[in-house]
Amino acid sequence: MSPQLSTPSKVPFYRDIRTLKWALQVLALLAVFALLYWLYGNYQENVAKSSIQTDLRFLDNPANFTIPGNDLDQSQPVRDAFVEGFLNTLRVAFIGVALATILGTLIGIARLSKNFMVRTLGTVYVELVRNLPLLLLLTFMNLAVVLQAFPRIENAWLPLDLFVVSNRGIAIPWFIGSPAQLGIGILSAALIAFVVARVRIRQADKSGKQDRAWLFGIITFLVLVVLIWLLFGYGWELPYVDGRGTTGGLRLDPSFFALVASLVIYTSSHIAEIVRGSILAVSRGQGEAADAIALTGSQKMRLIILPQAFRIAMPALGNQYLNLIKNSSLGATISYFELTQIAQITVGNGSPAVPAFSLTLLVYLAISLVTSLIVNFFNRRLALVER
Amino acid sequence: MFLHERGHVKSKSLSVLAVASAAALFLAGCASTEGETTTPAATETTTTTTTEAAGSLLDSVIAAGSVRCGTRDALPGFAVLNDAGEHVGFDSDFCRVIAAAVLGDATAVEMIDLETADRFTALQSGAIDVLVRNTTWTATRDGSEGANFLQPTFYDGQGMMVTSDSGYNTIAAMDGAIICVAKGTTTEGNAALESSRLGLDWEIRSFDETDLILEAFLAGQCDGWSSDVSQLTGLRSAYPNGSEALTILPEVFSKEPLAPAVLDGDTAWAQAVNWAILATIQAEEFGITSANVDSIRDTTEDVGILRFLGAEVPGSDGAAVLDPNLSLPTDFAYQVVKQVGNYGEIFARHLTPLGLDRGLNSLWNAGGILYAPPYR
Repeated sequence: MSPQLSTPSKVPFYRDIRTLKWALQVLALLAVFALLYWLYGNYQENVAKSSIQTDLRFLDNPANFTIPGNDLDQSQPVRDAFVEGFLNTLRVAFIGVALATILGTLIGIARLSKNFMVRTLGTVYVELVRNLPLLLLLTFMNLAVVLQAFPRIENAWLPLDLFVVSNRGIAIPWFIGSPAQLGIGILSAALIAFVVARVRIRQADKSGKQDRAWLFGIITFLVLVVLIWLLFGYGWELPYVDGRGTTGGLRLDPSFFALVASLVIYTSSHIAEIVRGSILAVSRGQGEAADAIALTGSQKMRLIILPQAFRIAMPALGNQYLNLIKNSSLGATISYFELTQIAQITVGNGSPAVPAFSLTLLVYLAISLVTSLIVNFFNRRLALVER
Repeated sequence: MFLHERGHVKSKSLSVLAVASAAALFLAGCASTEGETTTPAATETTTTTTTEAAGSLLDSVIAAGSVRCGTRDALPGFAVLNDAGEHVGFDSDFCRVIAAAVLGDATAVEMIDLETADRFTALQSGAIDVLVRNTTWTATRDGSEGANFLQPTFYDGQGMMVTSDSGYNTIAAMDGAIICVAKGTTTEGNAALESSRLGLDWEIRSFDETDLILEAFLAGQCDGWSSDVSQLTGLRSAYPNGSEALTILPEVFSKEPLAPAVLDGDTAWAQAVNWAILATIQAEEFGITSANVDSIRDTTEDVGILRFLGAEVPGSDGAAVLDPNLSLPTDFAYQVVKQVGNYGEIFARHLTPLGLDRGLNSLWNAGGILYAPPYR
C-alpha cells in the first residue's frame, strides 16, 4: 500500500459538495430574481408606451355598475364596490365554513358507523364528491340545479308558505327592525349563556355531578333571545311572490345559494375524511376506558373521542377553511358579486388591470393570513402541553 | 415540544415577511410611477421617442407578414366560427380589410379570440395588433385603457330583448325586473343609468359569456337581456324560431359607436388601420364594389377614383400615382375593395341577413353618418 492512497488528498473547492450546494442555491435565487426583474421591466415598458394608470387612483372613479341585492349606487366610487365585494366574500366564507364543518363532521362520523346503510352512504358521498373538480360542480349546481331544477317564479315553490323558492333566488322569513340592535342583543345573550355554562362547570367540579353545561347554556340563550324579541317588539316578515319577483323577507341570491352549496358539498367531503382519520387516530384505550366507566355511546363520542379528535384535526381543518375561502373566488364564473367578480367588472369598465388585481390579491392574502392566525390560536389552545 | 414551538414562530415570521415584501413591492411600483406622473411632459416626449426608435407596429406587422386581430368566436353576424373553423362576420371582415390594406393579402390575418374582460389587457400587452371586437368607443377607454379608437365600423345603441310572452312592450313597464348583461362591458353602466333615470329599480346581473346569459334568460332567471341592438339581433337570429319567440323593445338608450382600437402612441399604425376602414366607406360612396373594381380602374376618367385606387393619374408633367405617405401601399384601397369589398357589401353580407337595417350606418348622402375624409 502506498501512502498516497491512505491519505485522501484535499478536495478542490469546485468539487466540494458544500460549495456546490451553496452555489446552486445562489444561482437558483439569482435566476428567480432575474425573471421577476425581467417581467417587471416588461410591465414598465408596456405601461410607458400607453397612458395606463399604475396607481390606486382608479378607486375614486365612479363605479358605473350596480350590485344585485345591494343599494350601491352607480355613482359611488369603485372603492365602495370593492368593499361590497369583500363583504360578499366574507359572507360566503363564514356561512360556508360553518356549514361545511357541521356536514363534514356528521359524514366523517357516519363513515365509522356500525350501521351498514349509514356507513355506505357516507362512503359513496365522500368518494363521489371528493373526486369531482369544484368548478364543474359549481357550474352544474348553477346551470342544472338552480336554473333548471328550481321552478320559475311564475310557479314558485312555497314550502309551508314560509319560503319562496324559484330560480330567481330563495326568499326566507326575516325580522323587521334594526339588525345592529338585534345583533348586539344576540351577542349579549350568548355572552350571558357562556357565563352560566362556566358557573355550571365550576359547581359540577365541586359537587361531582354532571355539569350539563351545554344544556343550561342553550336554554339560557334561547330564553334571553325570546325575551329580547318580545321586549323590543320585533316582528316576522314573510316573503311572497309579487309579480316577477318577491317582496318581504330576505332574498338569497340564486348564485349565492349555488356557490355556498357547491363549496359546502365539496369541502365537507374533505373535512369528513379528516374527521374520520382523526377519530381513528385517538388511541383505542380512550374508547375502552370510556366503556369501562359505563359512558353511553353518545357520551363517549361527545366527551372523550371528539375533543381529542379535533385536537388532531385542527391543522388539517384550517387548510380546508383556507381552501374554501379562496375557492369562493369561483363565484365570479356564476355571476356572484364577490371580490373577484367586482375586480373583473371594474377592470372591464376602465380600471387598470395590474393595480386592480394586485389589490384583490393582497385582500385575499390578508383574509387567508387572518384565518391562519385564528386557526393557529385555537390550535395552540387545543394542543397538548407536554413537558 | 420546545423545538416545535420554535419552528412555529419561525414560520409565522416568515409569512409576515412575505406579506411585507409583497406589499413593499406593490407600493414601490406605485411610488415610482407617481414620480413619473409628476413630470408628464418629460415622460411623454421620452415615450414618443422610444416608440419611434423601437419602430411602429406597422413595421413589425409587415415584417411578420400577418396582422394579429383581437376578435371573438360566437357573436352571429359579427364574428363566428364556421364549420371549416374560419371566422365569419362583419368584424372578421374588417380584420381582413386591415390585412388587405397593409399587406395586400386579406388572408394574412391571425384571428385571436378574446374574452370581453380581457380584450384591453390583450391590446396593452401587445398580444394583438388591433382590436376589432364590437367594442364601444368611450372617453374612459380612450383615456385609461391605453386604447386609441379609430373610425367606427358600426354605430350602435343599447336596447332590450324580452321573451314575446312576457307581456313587456316598453322598457318603462319593466319595473323591478332582473336584467342580464355581459360582464365588463359598457352595457352594465348604461343599464344602471337607465334604471335610475326611469326609476325602475332593476337588478342587473352580469355574466362572463353570452352562452351563460342565454341559459339564464331561457330559464326565466332574467326578465330582460340588454345589449347593443346589433348584438341582440344577431343572437336572436341564432335562436330557433327567434323572431317570434323573442322581442327587441323599440327603445334605444345609449350611443354605442363600435370602433377598432390600437395601442396609444403609435400614430403610423393608427393611421394605417384608420385609412383601411375609411377606404371601404369611400369605395361605397364611389360605387366601387369587389365585382366592378377592375373595370372601373381600367375605364374611369374620374381623377378622384383613380387617385383612390392607386392608378396612374394623368397630369401636366406625365402620369403619377398619388402617395399620401400613409406608409401604406399606394394601391391599398384597390386591394381592400377587390379582396373584401366596400362597406355596403360587408354589411349586406353579414348584417342584412340578421334583419338589421343600415339606419345610422348609411352613407352621409343617404341619411346616415358614414363620412370618409377626402383621399387626395
